[in-house]
Amino acid sequence: MTEIIDQHQEGKRDVTFRVFRFNPQVDSKPYFDDYTISAERGITVLRSLNYIKEHVDATLSFRAFCQAGICGSCGMRVNGISKLACTSQVWDELDKCREPGIIRVEPLRSLPMIKDLIVDMDPLVDKMTRYSNWIDSTMPLADMGKKEFLISEEEFQQYDKATDCILCASCVSECSILRANKEYVSPAVLLKSYRMNVDSRDGIHDLRLAELVKDHGVWDCTHCYRCQESCVKSIPIMEAIHAIREDALESRGPRDTSGAKHAEAFMEDIEKKGKLVEATLPIRTNGVVWTLRNLLPMAMKMIVKRRTPPPPPLVKSAKGIKIFRAMFREMTEHVKQDHLKSHKK
Amino acid sequence: MKPFDIVIVGGGGAGLYAAMEAMKTNPALNIAVLSKVYPNRSHTSAAQGGANAALANKAKDDSVEMHIFDTIKGSDYLADQDAVDVLCSEAPKIIRELENIGTPWSRMEDNTIAQRPFGGAGRPRCCYCADKTGHTILQTLYEQCLRKGVLFFNEYFALNLSVHGSRSRGLIAMNMKTGKVEAFPAKTVIFATGGYAKMYWNRSSNAAGNTGDGQAIAYRAGIPMKDMEFVQFHPTGLRKSGLLVTEGARGEGGYLINKDGERFMARYAKEKMELGPRDLVSRSIETEILEGRGFDSPAGKYIHLDLRHLGADLIKSRLPQIREMSLNFEGVDPIEEPIPIRPTAHYSMGGIDTDNFGRTVMDGVYAAGECACVSVHGANRLGGNSLLDILVFGRIAGHTAAEEAGKFEPGSISEEELRESVEEIRTRMQPSGHYERYGALREELGQTLALNVGIFRESSLLHKGIQDIAELKERFKKVRVFDSSDVFNTNLQQVLELKNMLDLAETVAVGALAREESRGSHTRIDFPVRDDEKWHKHTLATLVDGKAIPGEKPVTMGRYELQERTY
Amino acid sequence: MKRYAYYMSCINESMTKEVDRSIDFWQKDLGLEFVKLHEGTCCGGSNLDYVSPKHFALVNARNIALAEKMGLDLVVSCNTCLMTIRTAKKKLDETPALKKEVNDILKKEGLEYRGTSEVRHLLWVLVDDVGLDTIKAKVTVPLKNYRIAPFYGCHILRPSTVLGRDNPLAPSSLDQLIEALGGQTIPFEHKNRCCGFHTLLVAEEESLNVAAEALEEAINSKADFIVTPCPLCHTVLDGYQSKALKQAHIDSSIPVFHISEMVGLALGYTAKQLGIKRHIVC
Repeated sequence: MTEIIDQHQEGKRDVTFRVFRFNPQVDSKPYFDDYTISAERGITVLRSLNYIKEHVDATLSFRAFCQAGICGSCGMRVNGISKLACTSQVWDELDKCREPGIIRVEPLRSLPMIKDLIVDMDPLVDKMTRYSNWIDSTMPLADMGKKEFLISEEEFQQYDKATDCILCASCVSECSILRANKEYVSPAVLLKSYRMNVDSRDGIHDLRLAELVKDHGVWDCTHCYRCQESCVKSIPIMEAIHAIREDALESRGPRDTSGAKHAEAFMEDIEKKGKLVEATLPIRTNGVVWTLRNLLPMAMKMIVKRRTPPPPPLVKSAKGIKIFRAMFREMTEHVKQDHLKSHKK
Repeated sequence: MKPFDIVIVGGGGAGLYAAMEAMKTNPALNIAVLSKVYPNRSHTSAAQGGANAALANKAKDDSVEMHIFDTIKGSDYLADQDAVDVLCSEAPKIIRELENIGTPWSRMEDNTIAQRPFGGAGRPRCCYCADKTGHTILQTLYEQCLRKGVLFFNEYFALNLSVHGSRSRGLIAMNMKTGKVEAFPAKTVIFATGGYAKMYWNRSSNAAGNTGDGQAIAYRAGIPMKDMEFVQFHPTGLRKSGLLVTEGARGEGGYLINKDGERFMARYAKEKMELGPRDLVSRSIETEILEGRGFDSPAGKYIHLDLRHLGADLIKSRLPQIREMSLNFEGVDPIEEPIPIRPTAHYSMGGIDTDNFGRTVMDGVYAAGECACVSVHGANRLGGNSLLDILVFGRIAGHTAAEEAGKFEPGSISEEELRESVEEIRTRMQPSGHYERYGALREELGQTLALNVGIFRESSLLHKGIQDIAELKERFKKVRVFDSSDVFNTNLQQVLELKNMLDLAETVAVGALAREESRGSHTRIDFPVRDDEKWHKHTLATLVDGKAIPGEKPVTMGRYELQERTY
Repeated sequence: MKRYAYYMSCINESMTKEVDRSIDFWQKDLGLEFVKLHEGTCCGGSNLDYVSPKHFALVNARNIALAEKMGLDLVVSCNTCLMTIRTAKKKLDETPALKKEVNDILKKEGLEYRGTSEVRHLLWVLVDDVGLDTIKAKVTVPLKNYRIAPFYGCHILRPSTVLGRDNPLAPSSLDQLIEALGGQTIPFEHKNRCCGFHTLLVAEEESLNVAAEALEEAINSKADFIVTPCPLCHTVLDGYQSKALKQAHIDSSIPVFHISEMVGLALGYTAKQLGIKRHIVC
């Protein structure tokens, strides 16, 4: 509290914005410009950039529209983290600077650069199209606009939070896999796909899911949680990704894709031994040929270092595995009962 | 480029609905949507409250007729009654249609679409999705447009209509990504570019881009603007940004306090205090500030919205969004300190004069949404009717254009015309000697409008406002564009937006000076009462030889006779 | 002596045996006693919770209940096991019906999940329980002259609603440990990024790209080695290092240590004792 009062009395601070610059017409490569302005308490990063554009350097280019955290235009990286410039307080950012007093401002990652802080959003729109990120209504054409679907609170709750997404692309920029491969579906599109797939008004669930389980789809997520952590609307994106996988296993079976097989292997091993049988995991996920081709050279090195996981017979079961197994199977019965109940509904 | 059947300018609720409906009406048509932002960024997303429709899910005795009456009364009897008929009769259908295609409406206990009470409505008929109604509607429409393969030209900035005689041949626009000025020859053009309240700049709750581009283009093409003087102010905007602090803050018991520490609403509305109607609270705050009882700061004068007595728990649980906004945009935690606020320009009732089908006076040119004035809001818009307006009339404009496109010969736009559009920009970029900064002009425009064409209007103030605007227009000729890049030249775009705002600002001020009465959002100190005999009519502003020429148009009456508007 | 139940991660019993081995050397030196949970089972990795949420809850309620039976907190030395078990704990604590269903089954083994034991990472125990001052005092071979890149990995930081110990955007616990051991931390942009482990078998090329980025930064920053609190990160950064760097056309290499090994070195144990020779890159 005293700190707040001190800041209030202090009123203003000199802040340097180190801003990423790139104009494809003249620059062969990007560089940084430093702008030092006097920033009062309560000012946002976006307002600071507006000030710089109006008073210091009119060529500085960035997108901004609603300036109130709902349109998603001003996604950029501030001190290395993707967020909205319009809802980021300069004085908060000052506490996060690597170099004291210098706030770094850079464009979002993993989308093509256009100019300065502006990146191309078309790849994201293309993916929304590829993964049918819309409701294909089951309402007969003749009844459109005349009847309502009845939607339970329970169903509404499933997608309520997901519909908060403003497509600011912060998660896209932070995604680990997208950085490694631009073809990857991307977190925002997975979130939207999930939102459509749990909506009972929609009629193309199976089609959408079939697309999602293909290469560069839902199984490529590496569970790094960066999307969720950077979401400006605090949407639990990983829960949506997990829900798509759960749905894929249930709707398409555990032998559907390498991702599904991999996930299912954990279930098998835990039931059998209480421990993961790592040695055969690659084979069970991708088959013998893939394993020999991809992992043999490395396996040789590991054998030399005695780092290879033990073959299945040598994997010691957890102590007391028998009673554990009985309990595990009892839970399997519970799950079966749950399914029967939900199908009856 | 192959001529389009329909070019829609604007990708918000009205534009997207128009696109969807036009494709449905005639799938063979060649349709394009141009938007200066990605459509999902449009300002429709900022509408929190909801959309009115007499579904009678909540109040079983609600009816379209009651909705019609509430809207007409709310408009202070300036709305055209046949247009209001269309708005309210179409409402249930449009809300259900959106429901059918995925809008996640909040639900009642019986799983039907939920409805809540809203200001000025006799029954709870506002359909909503939590506090993100506009956002979810916009998402739904964008999703459906992607589904139907609507052809989007995103981040294109519209420059001019190509006009030949009494009709348009299409649109000229700049591709922001390349800076190239491109021709969009088209049989029909629909403007759906949103409102113009951002001309009040830091005294507006609108997005930075709500600069009335469509209206300005139409205006320069000779199409009349209607009822431009009617601008709605919301009582509680944040001091620095003009962003909206929703009514919930006062609903939960927040106090309005002046610099003497008084709860001054006692002077204006003893009973209702802070919960008086929007226009009254706005006028009260403005009076406090004008009479010297406001606080002063470099960001302007303001008063306090004090929530501290509500306690940290209530603020955190019931008003989390308001706390977040206050922290994000003022750096003030309402648990510890009062929020600095002042009234903010929120919505523009006026716009491009259209009929009930979205047609303008120019063949092949249509308009819908906040950029149009049908008029369904008259002198004052009811909460929950703006989203409804963009949906209903966006759809109608799309349908009408699709039906009528065949009537018009395909136009073509000459190289000469394109060159002119480019030339105008080029000269802007080659200033010599003394130059002006667009940022300063923009701020001055907002200031003079807020001061002279704001909540309280009066002959001498309005004359001053008109003079200021004329001077700003002169100075605008010397504005310099520093960015010489073709790629995403936001400097140039903002200068062109300022030009649009300046052109329209004149029509707002001229209309306000002409209208010698007080009606709805328009308050004249020198003419404090509604004067139905002289002023029960629409005002028009048409550009002739560079000047706004006033005109007028009768109000279409219907079942409801003129009455005093009291609540 | 501070006592803890110690969760035996699958990987530490197969590919990264050096983790548990090195802890055994120094635990007493720091006044710690880890009681190994031989009855513990695989936590389900990051997969079981969506394959079967109920089995996931059962398995991890049991893992925690084993520690609760001894009245001890549960210490984990793998990031993903930590995140997984803590996620299950959160769900159990927030969902009374689930807790009851699980406990009805656990009764068979005489176990009950009550929610009384904390689930914590080895790194947190070192920094928060042993304390940096105590650690400093015990160091016999300070890691001075070493430039060390701290690689936290994901699941000790994110989701922050489940982990919560470090600021996920600017974590500091590992940096503090390194400095207490006398080492010099380098600014490391990838410190809170992903190693790519969890897609190694599903999207190998992407995984290795992810790993290569982190390795490249460490190499370019002239770090002497990378240190990580997670055996899964270690497996990628060390075991797959040559493949990842080859794919990224980088001709170099960098050793990667577990925190348990780094502590062991600073307390005077040899690389051989600690099992560092078992690394692929060393």
